[in-house]
Formats: sequence, C-alpha cells, structure tokens
Amino acid sequence: MVDPITLSVVWGALISIGEQMGVALARTAHSNAVKDGYDFSAAVFDAEGRLVAQGDFSPGHLGAMLYTVKHVLGYYPPDQLNDGDAIIVNDPWMGTGHFPDITMVSPVFVDGTLVGLVANTAHHVDVGGAVPGSQIVEGVIEYFQEGLRILPVKCWEAGKENEQIIRLLTANVRLPIPFLGDLRAQANANRVGVQRFSALAKRYGAGVITNVMAAILEKGEASMRQALAVLPAGEYAFEDYLDDWGQGTPPIKVKVTAKIGGGEILLDFTGSDPQTESGLNSYINYTRAYGICAVRCVTIPSIPHNEGVARPIKFSVPEGSFFNPKPPAGGSSRATINVRIYDAVMGALSKAAPDRVMAGLSHWSNPNISGIERSTGRNFIFYDLVMGGTGARPTKDGIEAMSAPFNAANIPVEVQEANTPLLVERIELIPDSGGAGKYRGGLGLRKDIRVFGDQIRLVNLTDRCRFAPFGLFGGGKGKVGRTLVQKDGSETTVHSKSTTRLVEENVISFQVSGGGGYGNARERDVEAVRRDVLRGCVSIEGARRDYGVVIDPSTKMVDLSGTATARSAMSS
Amino acid sequence: MSYRAGFDVGGTFTDFVVYDDATGKSHIGKTMTTPDDPTRGVMTGLRQLLERLGISFADLTQALHATTLATNAILERSGSQTALVTTKGFRDVLQIGRQRRNDLYNIFVDRVAPIIDRELIWEVAERINASGDIVTPLDENEARRVAEEIAARGVRSVAVCFLHAYQNSKHEEMMKDVLADAVGGAFVSISSQISPRYREYERANTTSVNAYLMPTIHEYLGKLEGLLSQAGYGGDLYIMQSNGGIMTAKEAAKFPVRLIESGPAAGALMAARYGAMVSQPNVIAFDMGGTTAKVTLIDDGDPLVTDQLEVDRVNAREGSGLVLNAPSVDLVEIGAGGGSIAQVADGTLKVGPQSASSVPGPACYGRGGTRPTVTDANLVLGYLDANYFLGGEMPLDSEAARSAIAEHVGKPLDLDVTEAAWGIYEVVTQNMALATQVVSVGRGKDPRDYTFISFGGAGPLHGARLARLLGCNTFLSPAGAGATSAFGLIMSEPLFNLSQTRVMRLAKFEPQIVSALFQKMEDDARALLLGTKVAGNWQFAYRADMKFVGQGHELNVLLGSEAKAAQNPDEMRQSFLSLYRETYGHAPDNLPVEVTSWRLSARCRVPAMRFERCDAKAYDVHKAKRTTRPAYFPEAGGFIDTPVYDRYRLGAGHTIMGPAIIEERESTVVVLPGDHATIDEFGNLNVELSYDETKSLSAAKRDHKVEQREAQLV
Repeated sequence: MVDPITLSVVWGALISIGEQMGVALARTAHSNAVKDGYDFSAAVFDAEGRLVAQGDFSPGHLGAMLYTVKHVLGYYPPDQLNDGDAIIVNDPWMGTGHFPDITMVSPVFVDGTLVGLVANTAHHVDVGGAVPGSQIVEGVIEYFQEGLRILPVKCWEAGKENEQIIRLLTANVRLPIPFLGDLRAQANANRVGVQRFSALAKRYGAGVITNVMAAILEKGEASMRQALAVLPAGEYAFEDYLDDWGQGTPPIKVKVTAKIGGGEILLDFTGSDPQTESGLNSYINYTRAYGICAVRCVTIPSIPHNEGVARPIKFSVPEGSFFNPKPPAGGSSRATINVRIYDAVMGALSKAAPDRVMAGLSHWSNPNISGIERSTGRNFIFYDLVMGGTGARPTKDGIEAMSAPFNAANIPVEVQEANTPLLVERIELIPDSGGAGKYRGGLGLRKDIRVFGDQIRLVNLTDRCRFAPFGLFGGGKGKVGRTLVQKDGSETTVHSKSTTRLVEENVISFQVSGGGGYGNARERDVEAVRRDVLRGCVSIEGARRDYGVVIDPSTKMVDLSGTATARSAMSS
Repeated sequence: MSYRAGFDVGGTFTDFVVYDDATGKSHIGKTMTTPDDPTRGVMTGLRQLLERLGISFADLTQALHATTLATNAILERSGSQTALVTTKGFRDVLQIGRQRRNDLYNIFVDRVAPIIDRELIWEVAERINASGDIVTPLDENEARRVAEEIAARGVRSVAVCFLHAYQNSKHEEMMKDVLADAVGGAFVSISSQISPRYREYERANTTSVNAYLMPTIHEYLGKLEGLLSQAGYGGDLYIMQSNGGIMTAKEAAKFPVRLIESGPAAGALMAARYGAMVSQPNVIAFDMGGTTAKVTLIDDGDPLVTDQLEVDRVNAREGSGLVLNAPSVDLVEIGAGGGSIAQVADGTLKVGPQSASSVPGPACYGRGGTRPTVTDANLVLGYLDANYFLGGEMPLDSEAARSAIAEHVGKPLDLDVTEAAWGIYEVVTQNMALATQVVSVGRGKDPRDYTFISFGGAGPLHGARLARLLGCNTFLSPAGAGATSAFGLIMSEPLFNLSQTRVMRLAKFEPQIVSALFQKMEDDARALLLGTKVAGNWQFAYRADMKFVGQGHELNVLLGSEAKAAQNPDEMRQSFLSLYRETYGHAPDNLPVEVTSWRLSARCRVPAMRFERCDAKAYDVHKAKRTTRPAYFPEAGGFIDTPVYDRYRLGAGHTIMGPAIIEERESTVVVLPGDHATIDEFGNLNVELSYDETKSLSAAKRDHKVEQREAQLV
C-alpha cells in the first residue's frame, strides 16, 4: 500500500521522466520528422512491460508501445537483459504498424533487479524499400517491399553500440547519416530515462516504486471504468469511407460499433472492409492506439495516460480486415488512417456523449518529395505535414490549423527552403472549406510548393478527397481536399495516394479538407458569420448559401431582414 | 552626493531602492501600484522616499526601472491596433504557428489568439529565397496600395515580416519607407531589425508583438522621462530588459518586445549579485510568489540568457503561449505559488497550476476563498504565524485554513489535517524540484555546484526543502529579498544580445563573410553601449549557434571574447563538440557541423558596488528569539517546539541550528533540522544543508547525493 502523497510525488516524477526523454530526443535528432515535426514518443514501463507514464507526444506511438514492449520482453526476458541494453524493433505487427517507426526499449536496474523499462519510438525518414521515404500505397503486395524489417535485437549491449547491426541497418537505408543520428538520439533519450528512473528508484526504494506503479495502473483503470459507467449503456454504430487505396480502387468501408456497458467499452470494427493489397492497412496496434485516444478524449482527457486507463477499452477487429491485417500485408502508409480511426470512434460516441465529441477532422497530407539537388548532386528526401483545422465542437468552432490527435508540428518554411531545393509559394487557410454549423468546422489548409532538381518524385499520401469530413447534429460537411500539379501552364489533379514524376519548376498544391460543422448553421450567431466574412474565412456568397446570413458587400453590414428571409427559407 | 534609484513596478506593489554611492547604504520604499497610470505610483513613492532621506531628484545619478507594463498589455490585449504586412501567400503565418496541441486529449483546447487578427493582415507580392537572392521584386504599386488601406483603417502601428528577410532586408526597408509616407506618425517594426533569424512564425510573431506594444510603451516611457526631468532628475532613464541588462528608455521604446520579463530579470540579477557578494558565482535563483515560481540558473556570476521566451501561456503549459525571439534570462516558470490551489483527483493530490490569486485568495486570508492553498498549508504546518503575516498587518485565519484543507484534501484522501497540509507542501515542493531539474540536470549541470538563493514572498518557506531535494550544499536567503527585486536594478549593467542568421558549414567556412557579419554587429553594439552613457569596461562575447548538419536544435557555443575567435573553424568545431558532450553525454565525431546564427553579446562592466556591512552581533543570538511555536518536521516525528527569530535583530556572525523559523516583514525562512544557519557580514542568511541522516533524523529522504551523482551522467 502506498500513501497518497508518495503516490502523487512519484507519479509526477515518472511523467517528468517521459517528458525529459522526449526533449532529449528532439534536441539531438537529425531528421526533420523528429526534430521539427515531433514525430516521436517516450514512455516509462513497469518490470512487466506495462506503460505507467508517458510524455504526451504521438498517441499512435504511445498506444502501440502498450503492446510492443511486451513483445520485446517475450524475446528478451529479464534474465537476458543487462544495464545499458537498448533493443530495437520496427515489425509492423509488434510495433506501430509501419517500418519507419523504430521503437527502442531499455531496462532499468537497481541493485541488479529489473524495476522497469523505458522506451521511445521515432519516425525515421527512410528505412529503405521501394521508394524514398518508405511510405507508398500503390504497388505494394506485401511489406517486404516497404523497407527493412527489424525483429527485436539488441542494438546496444551493456552500453556499447553493436557495430555489426548498425552496419546491416545503415546498408539498407537511403540516408544513413541522419538515420544513424536519429537512432543515436533514441539511445540518448533512453539513457536519460534509465538514469532518471534508477535515481528515483534509489531514492524511494525499488519496492515503493513498484507499489506506486501498481497503484497508478489501478487508479487509471478505475478512472476509466468510472467514466465509462456514466455513459448511457448501449450500442452505437458509425459508418464512413476512406476514399480508396490507390488509383482505380474502390472506397474502403470503415465501420465501428461502440458497445458500452458495465464500465467497459468494446470497439467492434466488424463490418469494415478486408485488408487491401497495398501499403494502406492499419495493423492492430495502430487501430487500438487511435481507438484508445478517441475514447480518452471523450471520457477522461485530463488523467495522465497509462495501461490501466486502456484496460477497460476492448477491441474486436476481425483478423484479415483493414483494421487488423495479417502479416505480411503492407502498412507503410497507415499515417493517413489515424485521423479516420479517431473520427469513426468519435462518430460512434457522438450518440452516447453528444456534448463531448468533435465533428470530422480536417484531413492532412503527409507527402514525401525526393530527388537530386542540381547544385550539389546529393539526394534529398523531404517529408512534409500539411495540416488543416479540427472539427467543430459542442460549444465552439473547430480550431484553425491545429494538428489532429497525432500531435505533430509543422516544419518552418524557412527551414525547409534552407535544407531542400524548393520554394513554398503559399500556406493559407482555404475560405469556405469548414463545414457550416452552429459551430463552424476548422478550415482546410493549402500549401503550394515549387520544386527544383532532377528525378523528382512525389509520393502523395492524403485522403478525404471524395468522402468529406462529417458534420454532427445538423452540422455541414467540410469541403473535400485535393492535390494539384501545375506544369506547362496547365493544372492536373494528382491522386491522393499516387506516385508522380515531376520536373523542375512544377508546382504542387496540397489542399486538405476542412473540418465538419456542429449543430444547425441556421442557429449560428449572425455576428460570428459576419466576423468570419471580415476575416476572409467565409465568403459573402458562402455566408448567404451556407448560413442564410446576408451581408452587404460594400458596407459589410448584416442585412437583417434579408437574413431573416434567407434563414426561414433554409428551414423549410 | 550621488545616489542611484531603482524602481520595480509589479502587479500589486511598486518597490524602490535608493543606494548611496558614498556610504554603500541602501534604502527601501514601497507603494501601491497605480495600474491606470503607473507613473503616478512611481513618482509619488520615489518622492516620498527621497524626502525621507532628505535628498532631491537632482542628487540622483541614475534612475533604473523594471516594468510589467509590456507583459500586462499582452495578457490583457490592451495594446494598440496593429497591422501586419507579409509576403504574398503567407497571410496566415501567425494563425498557423507551429500547429502542435498543447493538451493532447482535450478536444476543447484552444490556442492563444494571434496578436494581430487576420482582418488586419495584408500581403504584398515579393520574394527572397533562403540564400537572400531576390526571386520576385517588391511590387511597389501594391505596397503603396496596402499602405493606403492600412492608413485608412486608422492603425497606429505596423509590423512587416517578409520571408527570409533575415538574409536580405531590402524589401522590408522599402516597405517601411512606403508605410512611413502613407501612414502619418505610424510606428513601423520590421523583422530584419527586430529579430533577424530564421523560422518565419517566430520572427513574424516577435515583430508583431513589438509593433503591438510600441505605442503604449513609447507613450509611457516618454511621460515618465518627462516627469522625472520636471522633478529635477538630470540623467537618463534606464530600463531593465528581459536579458538582465539595462538599456536607455529611448532604445526601449523602439524594442518593447525586449521588456516582457523585465521584472523577473531584475530578480534573477539580484540573486546573481548576492551570489557574487558572498563569492558564490554559481547560483540557482528561485523566486516564488503568489501564482507562479520562477527558476533561473546563474553561471559564473551572470544569469543564463536564452534566445526565446513564451508569454501568455495557459496554466504555464509549454507551447500554449506566444513564442518570441527575445533574449531573456533563462526562466522556467511553473504554476506553483502561495496561492496555488490543492485538489484531489482520483485519489491523488494535485497542487496548482490554478491559483486563488489575491482575490479571493487562500482560505486563511478570510476574503471568501474556500479552497486550500499552499499558504494555508504553510500556516497549518506552523511555518507561518497567523499574527505576523506582512508584519502583522494582515491577520490570517488558521481555522479557515484547517477546515479548507480537511474538507478538500484530508477527507477525500483519509488523512488528518496535518498529513494533508504536509502533502500539499511536499507535492508543490516536488513540482518545483522537477522543473528545476529540467534547467539543471537536464542541461548537464550539477546542482551540487550551485548555491540556492530563494526569494519572493513564498520562496524562503520552501527554499531549504527544495535545495535539499536538488542536492545543493548551501541555501541563501538575502535580507529583504521578500520585498523587492529593485535591488537587482541598482546593480545592473547595460547588456545587448545581437544575432544574425547565416547558415554556413564549417567545412565551407567563409572568413570574410563572418568577419563582416560580426563587424556590423560590433558597430551596432558600440553605438548601443555609447548611447547608454554608462562608464565601465566593455566586454564582448562572440558566439555561434551550431549543430550537426541536419540536426534541428542548435547549441549556443561561446567562441571567445575577440573577433578572431570566430575565424577558426577547427577550434569552433572542437568547442561545439565539447559542449555537445557536456550537454548530451556523447558526441559523434564524424559528422559535418554548421553554424546557423552568429551572436554577439556586448556588456558594459561597471565596478562592483560596495555594500554596507551589516552590524556584527551585538548580543547573544537568544536575544533575537521572539518566541517558540510548534512547527511540523516529519524527520523529527511531527510538531516540535521551534524557536522563532526576529530577522531584524540578527547580526553578522549569529548562528542558528535548525529547526528554526526566521521571520521578517515580507517573508519567513524555514531552517530544517540538522541545518546550520549563519548571518554573514551582509546580513544574508547562509544555511549549510545537512545530508547527515543521524543529524537530520531523516528517514524518508535518503541518498540525494547518490541521485545527483547519477544525475550528472545524463
């Protein structure tokens, strides 16, 4: 039994360890994805591999690490672990679902006894395979085409880097120097974690720490059970579609039934489409990760995360389906699915907790652009994140230009242009793209990039170009997204998941969808509509068409009687 | 006769110090801040203090000022209507920011509102690339049209931020001229002057905030200078910048974004100077007030300065505020203060970041507050005296504190009132220790090499416990530190941090370019230092932000004190590698290294000030003992009868063994069992911290030293 004060103090310290590991990783990493994009995570585990505390970084990684660390312990039970070891793994089924994410796990010993583990996951810009960036949808039949697969191996043994493994790894990636830089940054993050964790365990005693970790898990579970028990019991289903899995392929059906009762929730994905023969599938850990994330947002957003919190969240996902593919299914491009898992669970839960959910998120674009720089002859791979706003909320508009739950940051244009031969011509909110509603969805975002160099290849990765983000409770849909390429004076549409060759001076325009609205647009405050018009987020025509608000183009004042007429026409 | 006056305008009080150069004696004054017009409080309070001392404004040689005006204008969004002009295609640069969520699972989370609304942002066709070449010339017709539209809106201040203007300022300067023509009497801030560094969001935001503050600060400082001069003061008015150095009011009016942490910087500087006074150049400065606590590291006598700060955060949450490229003392601020509210959630105790502030205040204030706070816990534990808070001016209600703690913490956790109060004290102290470790251990610094100096109203109550958690050897509490950071002002020096982005690989080092960059910064620095008219030795430090090619975060590497230090790429590489190893534990040796920004810090060292020695002990220390009261020390098994000393009766050489409580008007120092406190010749309370378990009877908190030894291996 642990007294509540020790529990509070040690819990805070464990969370701080996860956060500090993340800071160390970001500061020493070499790739844009990690250092600027924040595409990484760090967490602390008990001796049995149960997640007890985390830094709040990428939920996709964190949700998967709940399972990954246990797989690692399966390969290396405690008697085969030594102080200073760091085990790496990127197997999609054991890890986060695609090869670029390498998870690294290190044991924490105090006086020869294993008291816990620390782990972090980072997205590497290239891990080999068919295309630069190792993310591709079309043409993938099995994951062997997607890059280098790593089953758990000790990459550091008792503090010493295993040169043979490093040689094998770096021989199979396109940019070995940043790859190794990021891998060492991961090792550095674990060193920080091990040192802080063992210091804490020494101060309070390993027994106290173990008891605290057990209590954390119990408390987490109790909190989630309590929160779920408050929701009305029942079954809540939701259906939506991903656009497709490559040119000329059919849409992918997403179906989730949330079954709530007895302090638990079952997320049943039965009815969703089967796995695809492409790089677009969501391995089970990824499905769980974003399912758990969505449930947390609706239930107990402020409680620190741990495995206990996740325990009452059960999954039923048929093997061989899109959300639980069988190895060696491709999965490299699963990043574009995360928003959709989250969306679908939110959609289902909107029926149980209408005041705590968000309408469909603006989608994002996660393209890789590669080529050869003319002035230096060097290869470049450029990984970008184009992120729009969020869906509208029960009491407020969606947030403009805010990362969806995967919680990444953008990469500054001036940094991109200093490192890569490209010129960004604009980044701006897309007017009228947010779903109309009492509360408006966040706007989509447009980013235009002029490319330079030779052998330029765009591997596009986005969605919501056919099936728009949904509105809730009368809210309108967001506007769908698209990708355009301007070359030779003409503009062509690029498929959302295709690979395209480009030449110098072509301009790619990434235009991501807007978020869905919440509530009926007729009820939107007239002054809020006018403000949107003044700020250029909604056009005068859009105000009239979508909100029934008539605004004088010259004075920008609201025509009240015209508005009354227009709004009553909308209701009939 | 020559005197210096320092005044620090805080949220509640304006503090004054007048220092007599001839005798080394300092005199303190205090008055209520007058928020509607802070100059009124300043002039009234200063006049009263000078009258008391029988001197006039004409006898002052220096007037030094710290102000929260800039910060308040941002927090309350009470600055002037401001426009932004940016590159075509980048109208949303402020709105987009960096896009990360500051609260992962909370769908109701909001981002800080941009300081300039989209409605007041204009685009102009122009483009410069990353090398500084003009890709698209500025469209001058469009520039004029935009300027006219801005003029028609009645905007008072305009920010201009074009892409890559840090490499080539031509277009921004042209735009500035066009604006000056079109918008009569407008203030214009251009990014190449305000912050010539890359990363467009941060630069645009910094420039916009500068523009937003400019009219307010310009008017305020102009008025204050006028009033001082009318009163007979013949010198310049000096303002404390966030970086811990002073500049003239005229310069401050051009760069108000540099004033955000003016007050806290003065506090950190005070701690640095107290450290120097007792020959302890390495200091952890800990300032705990009513709402937040701030920690700053001082290395070798000067506060560490970082190149960014964040203002207007939600609940002190990183990433929730406005990020500014403004050199600032390296402050870590956390939501932990005397007013921090304790609450139980899911069977665990949380303290802060919500604060009861001064209204309704802690339960014991009796102003309607019912939630238990850190101050309530300190009262229940016997550390505070209900009848001697603010020297007895404000009686505290012990019963209210006890019942608030029992109700909101004791009952839900099944603890008695004392255990619950101790829990609040311990949790908040731990929160502060974790934050301090981020800036110390987390940056490769060993807290054992530092003296812990605590100040602020609540600082000395928690200082010893916190210093022990960190493993420091000495804890120092300056006399009067609870009252004022105005002390920091009279000991301040001019300091300017200049920087310029120019990405360059060491393997392709271009000595002429570097030399020209530094020449320009030196010329600017000399002009700034001359402008201050402060006499002293000029010291320049040449620095570079360096990283491995491809890495995202730079380390700020000291190259040397002369320009030639920035001419040797091999030595620069070695300096970088050794700092990298010190910071991260290891450094790859086979990777290319590049510089992103070049920096020059220019300081005017003034002769060390003489301080009046405090009177030696005139009598036995027991005469200073006011009373005893029960205070809670878990290592002693609970409440023990603890001697309470009157700080004003303690003289140099007096020694006290802990446990003890030492009271002065504005703050109370807790000395822990086993610790050994001495009053030094300047009146500071020096506490040697004991880690001897038998001596301190400590059972619970063992082995700090082991922890710190491990910690330095990070």
